[in-house]
Parts: sequence; C-alpha cells; structure tokens
Amino acid sequence: MDFRFDIIIDYLPLLLKGALLTIGISILSILFGSILGLAVVLGKMSTSWYLSWPMSGYIHFFRGTPLYVQILMVHFGLVPLLIGQTNSIVAAVAALALNSAAYTAEIYRAGIQSVDKGQTEAAYSLGMTKRQTMRFVILPQAIKRTIPAFGNEFIMLVKDSSLVALIAAPEIMYWSNAMRGQYIRVWEPYLSAAVIYLILTYSLSKLLASIERRLEG
Amino acid sequence: MNPIIEVIDLTMAYGDHPVLHQVSVNVAKSEVIVMIGPSGSGKSTLLRCLNGLEKPQGGDIRIEGQSLMSPAVNMSVIRANIGMVFQQFNLFPHMNVIDNIMLAQVQVRKQSKEAARAKALELLKKVGLTDKAEHRPSSLSGGQAQRVAIARALAMEPSIMLFDEPTSALDPEMVGEVLTVMKQLARDGMTMVVVTHEMGFAREIGDRVLFMEQGVIIEEGKPRQLFDMPRHERTKAFLSKVL
Ligand SMILES: Nc1ncnc2c1ncn2[C@@H]1O[C@H](COP(=O)(O)OP(=O)(O)O)[C@@H](O)[C@H]1O
Ligand SMILES: [Mg+2]
Repeated sequence: MDFRFDIIIDYLPLLLKGALLTIGISILSILFGSILGLAVVLGKMSTSWYLSWPMSGYIHFFRGTPLYVQILMVHFGLVPLLIGQTNSIVAAVAALALNSAAYTAEIYRAGIQSVDKGQTEAAYSLGMTKRQTMRFVILPQAIKRTIPAFGNEFIMLVKDSSLVALIAAPEIMYWSNAMRGQYIRVWEPYLSAAVIYLILTYSLSKLLASIERRLEG
Repeated sequence: MNPIIEVIDLTMAYGDHPVLHQVSVNVAKSEVIVMIGPSGSGKSTLLRCLNGLEKPQGGDIRIEGQSLMSPAVNMSVIRANIGMVFQQFNLFPHMNVIDNIMLAQVQVRKQSKEAARAKALELLKKVGLTDKAEHRPSSLSGGQAQRVAIARALAMEPSIMLFDEPTSALDPEMVGEVLTVMKQLARDGMTMVVVTHEMGFAREIGDRVLFMEQGVIIEEGKPRQLFDMPRHERTKAFLSKVL
C-alpha cells in the first residue's frame, strides 16, 4: 500500500486551520455549556416543580437523544428561528453547548451532593438563606471537586465536535472529508484527522492533570 | 418573665419512626440547660427542632414568643438569632478562619467587611486564636476548630446558643479548652442548651439538667439533685453507666 504524504502536506494548512476551529468551538461550548449547566442543575434541584420538571426534561432530552440529531435540529431549526438564517459555526457552538449543559448539570449535581450535609446545616444555623448557602458554601466546594469530571467532559466535547462537519463547520473533519473527496483516498485524510485529535486530547489531558495537581497542592 | 424558649408537646418522627413524644420544656433567659441521655434518645433531634433544622409534626416551639410552626415565620431571621455548635464543627473548609467568622455577618447581618473583620478578630481573641485568623480550618486541631465554630456562631450576636455534643469528637486533651470557652459564655449570661456527656461541666455550669430517653424527658432538675438523688430508676441506671 502506498501512503501519500504529499497530499497530507498539501492539506496540512487547512487541517491546522480546522484544528484551530475545533479548539475554538470546544472552548466556547464548554464555557457556555458549563454556565447553562449550572442554571439547569439549580433549576432541577429547586423545590419548585415549575423549575425542576422542565430542567429534568432538558437533561433527559439532551442525554437521551443523539448529538447528531441535536446538531441538525439546532442548525436547521433553532438558529434560523432565532437569527433568521443559519450559520454553521453558531449552530455548532449552540448545539454542543446545549448538549454539554445536560452533562455538566449532572457533574454539578454529583459535586453538590458530595458536599457534607453539615455544611448546609452550619450555613442555615447562621441564618443564611438557601440561596446564600448554595452560592457561598456549597458551590465553591462542589465546583472544585467537579474539575476532574469537567476535564473529561471537555475531552469528550473535543471528540464530539467532529460531528459538526455534518453542517459544514470547517473544522478538522470537514477538511478531512474535503481531502477524501478531492483525492478519493481514505487513509491519509482520516489518519491525519485521528492524529490531530489524539494530539489535542492528549495535550488536554496532560494540561488538566497538571491543573488538578496544582489545585491539590 | 416569659421563657425565651417554649417547647410544647413536641412530636417528631422520621417517616414512621417516632423520635420525640410530646416533649415540653421551657428555657428562661440566661439559663443553661444540659441534656443528657443514651445515644438515639432524641437529644440532637430536639436541639435541631429548636432552630428549624428538623420539622416536627406536632406541638409547638416558640422562640421569644414567635412560633416556629407558623407558616409566616422567617426561619433565616430566627436562626440568625440562635447559634449552633455541632459535634463535627462544620467549619467551611474553603475559607480562612476569619472568613468563616465574617461570612454570615456580611451576608446575613449586612455588616460592612471592616466591621465584620473587627468583630471576628475580637471573637478570635476571646477564644484565644488570634494567631489563626488567616489559617485554613484543615490546619487546626479539633479543639481549635471547635473554638472557631463557637466564635463564628457568636459573631451573629445570638440570644441563644445550642451545642450538640461539642466535645465528643475531640481528643481528651482538647476538651478542656472548649469547655473553658463555654463556661465563660455561660457566665456572661448566654442562654444555652447543651447536649453533652461532660458531667463535670453539667454540674458546674448547668442550671438544669434534662435526662432524656426514647424521645421522652424522663426527669429534670438541678444538677446536684439529678446527679446525686435521681428519682427515676432509668435515670439511675443511665447515671451508673456514665459516671
Ligand atoms: N435523619 C434521620 N433519619 C432517620 N432517622 C433518624 C435521623 N436522625 C436521627 N434519627 C433517629 O432518631 C432517633 C434519635 O436520634 P438523635 O436525636 O440523633 O439521638 P441522640 O442525639 O440522642 O443520640 C434515633 O433512633 C436515630 O436513629
Ligand atoms: Mg446526638
């Protein structure tokens, strides 16, 4: 089997541009996703059913349906509805953030529930309201504990972002597909993509491990 | 004078497991009540009902005349006025000692940071821990942590302090330093309800001792009377085990 490095070299600038977009989309998605996820979990844990039921539904929907379907719905449905026309990058970030919010909500929930009940009781006994207790006592402790899980979620997101090639967001997979189309070759485009993803996820996991170490130290 | 705490026929169950049976007790201002009794008899539950950490099913609790069972009651306001000290300290581990003591002053009492800090330092001095202000709770010994917890509660200027076995989690050599702070507090006129196994403390500081068993106050009296001349067989049996 011949392996054509020359076409990889040819496409490398585009693949690297795609990698930058993958990184950008992933960072924005985890950022918006984790903010939204916090709102979702606070709603879900609320004692008011009109907050907890919809937020429960939200989590079920986004965890229980394929990301593929969600991306298409956001791209062809939600984004045009909101801004009149669609835009693949906006749709990509929106879909991934909405999806990631459902997962980060569950990460937050686990973190919140891992904080000792005595902390809540101590805060209540000082006259703090539920809200103040959550904000100043529970969340700071919960979020610190969720950092490793957030790292995993971020790595998942980088990989999942490959699905947005589907709506022509010009990230890594988009250019790999273009490469296959142009040269009618399979291994060069997809191995290149795989190697770039590996480099991204590997560096990310190293980075996260060092952050965790610093937080513990 | 009206009692500061009135407990009237209080009944409480966890699910279908009854824990308190029509418990009634009054506490006068500046009185120090010591609750003793075997483990599982409902002492913590009664204490936790007093600041609304548990919701009893029947009876009433009035704090300075205000019923906790009334639907209109603002529990945060009531609780800010009742300090509670827990067996496990429950300091906020993500904050320095001084921030532990400042947090509720700023958030609940709406004090300025400067005023809260000044008050925190004054209280740290009172419990003998000025040098620990900028330390994390994890670096404190049990006795130090519990003194910080007391200072944190006192920062709200409560009119009542509740203690749930404040020295039970401490190494024996640290019990004294916590009891010393509590004794001073009692002498300063604080109304206190203390669950403890420290009978020496109960004798020295307690105005009244309640003996509780299986969710019922079996006997109450002045420490000398209850410890030296218990009237009930069950009190005698309990005391013979612990003294
Ligand atoms: N959160 C809870 N859920 C169910 N049962 C409980 C709970 N807390 C305490 N109990 C039960 O209530 C009874 C009284 O407990 P407690 O008030 O803690 O006793 P004490 O402080 O005197 O040891 C015990 O039988 C205990 O098992
Ligand atoms: Mg107890």
